[in-house]
Amino acid sequence: MQDLGLIHQLLIQLGGYTLTFNLEAIVMAWIVIAVLLFLGIYTTRKRAILPHSMQVFGELIVSSLYKLTEDALDEKLARTYAPLVTALFMFLLLSNWIGMVPHLHEPTKDLNTPLSLGIMGFVIAHYAGIKSKGFKAYAKEYFEPIFFMMPLNLIGELAKIVSISFRLFGNIMGGSIIILVVSFLTYSIILPPFLNAFFGIFVGAVQAFVFTMLTVVYISVQVK
Amino acid sequence: MAYDISTWVNLAAFTGAGIAMGLGAVGAAIGEGYTASEASVAVSRNTKLSGDVFKSMLVGQAVAESASIFALVIAILLLFLDVPNPTLVKGAALFGAGLCMGFGAIGSGVGSGFPGGQACRGMVHQPAMASRLTTNMLIGSAVCQTPAIFAMVVALILMFVDFSSAPLQPTWAALLGAGVSTGLAAIGSGIGGGLAAGASCEGVARSPEAVGPVTTTMLVGQAVSQTPSIFGLLISFVLVFKTFPETAALQTAMALLGAGLCMGFGGIGPGIGNGMAAEGAVRWVARRVDHAGDLMRTMLVGQAVSQSTAIYAMVISLVLIFVV
Repeated sequence: MQDLGLIHQLLIQLGGYTLTFNLEAIVMAWIVIAVLLFLGIYTTRKRAILPHSMQVFGELIVSSLYKLTEDALDEKLARTYAPLVTALFMFLLLSNWIGMVPHLHEPTKDLNTPLSLGIMGFVIAHYAGIKSKGFKAYAKEYFEPIFFMMPLNLIGELAKIVSISFRLFGNIMGGSIIILVVSFLTYSIILPPFLNAFFGIFVGAVQAFVFTMLTVVYISVQVK
Repeated sequence: MAYDISTWVNLAAFTGAGIAMGLGAVGAAIGEGYTASEASVAVSRNTKLSGDVFKSMLVGQAVAESASIFALVIAILLLFLDVPNPTLVKGAALFGAGLCMGFGAIGSGVGSGFPGGQACRGMVHQPAMASRLTTNMLIGSAVCQTPAIFAMVVALILMFVDFSSAPLQPTWAALLGAGVSTGLAAIGSGIGGGLAAGASCEGVARSPEAVGPVTTTMLVGQAVSQTPSIFGLLISFVLVFKTFPETAALQTAMALLGAGLCMGFGGIGPGIGNGMAAEGAVRWVARRVDHAGDLMRTMLVGQAVSQSTAIYAMVISLVLIFVV
């Protein structure tokens, strides 16, 4: 029970500064990336008109996520942002599911991962907004409805990063804490598989989808 | 009459357990009652389907009950928890855990009654969509439980993290504030998420071809409705994990308790309001599928404005924690 909230950290002293690396999140994220790379290479190998089963699987994922992006953005913008959306969703899905494998942990359980993805989405959305509307029209939106609402509009935009990243983090970390505590209390009998199914597969998939959709919708609010 | 510390800790734990289960029973019961009343309406519309409606009512009520089951788990843990080295801070933490879970179960319980009820009604309108309605009901009410899960996480953290080295003076208030913040903020988000989920079940029954957009809009709407409870969770984490220097001044402690209360109460309204925005959007996406994108954008902008009050509460809470 003592490992509740414990983080494996690597501290490196460098010229008077201490660099902190959260080893678990980094290693797990790289495992997820490796699996995704392998999946990508494996599904696109030997492409043909008559697809083999892995190619069908890959096309299914990509086409449904492209469709989802087209629903939220228009067709031209969707072509630009769909690769990002597809990659983001697959990364998050696998990150949330990887905790079910013994000895592996979700990288999204560490706040740094959702927060950096949230900041990435925020920057991309605002870049898209500036690019499509021009800087003047973009900046003008902060002074609406009246000019003194500017600080509050700014905080409201920044709160989006907090909410999108804490939503993912809270759900995944909450699930893992509940699984840990319940497994400890029941001596890992009967209940943990069901909890893993709910918090791992179900909540993990829903939260990955929600995070991706919110990123798309933030982009679409900025460009229109 | 002087009691020793372990008596005080037990006192706090037992009071906390009573509050957790007592308040935790409120929401689920209301939600289940709503499901049952809608099921009665459904049965009276088409008595031939009473078997299906009855089954789906029971499933919906079982899901709505999960919030109060979380409260039951926390209450039982509080009753039988063996505290290794009791301190007064631990007592405050246990009482805070009870408060957090008790308040936190109200919203999700009420909220997850809505999809159950609407699914029963929809089943009579569109018997062919029965399985899809059940799926939507289950997804909607499971996402609805998220605020209650946040409350449970904070309660578990308060119960199991070791606070024995923390100074009593400001920490007791910080821990109580942490419990109240997530607990109260979860009320609005739970009800709001339920409104959106209910509208999605209604929408699926109204236009079965709009299942995809309706579910997507529901999930995004619910996610945004949960934002106030996420702010509550953030304030709770800050209050639990920040170490406060020992102080004899009472105003520091009161500021920390006030931060929790501020975020907690501030989160109730925006949660329900965002849920209403999501409910409207989901309901109309079902009628105008071709305008799903516009509806979702309108919903998000409206929710962002309605959410600004929660953001004010969060700013004041952070000021109370870090500045005062």
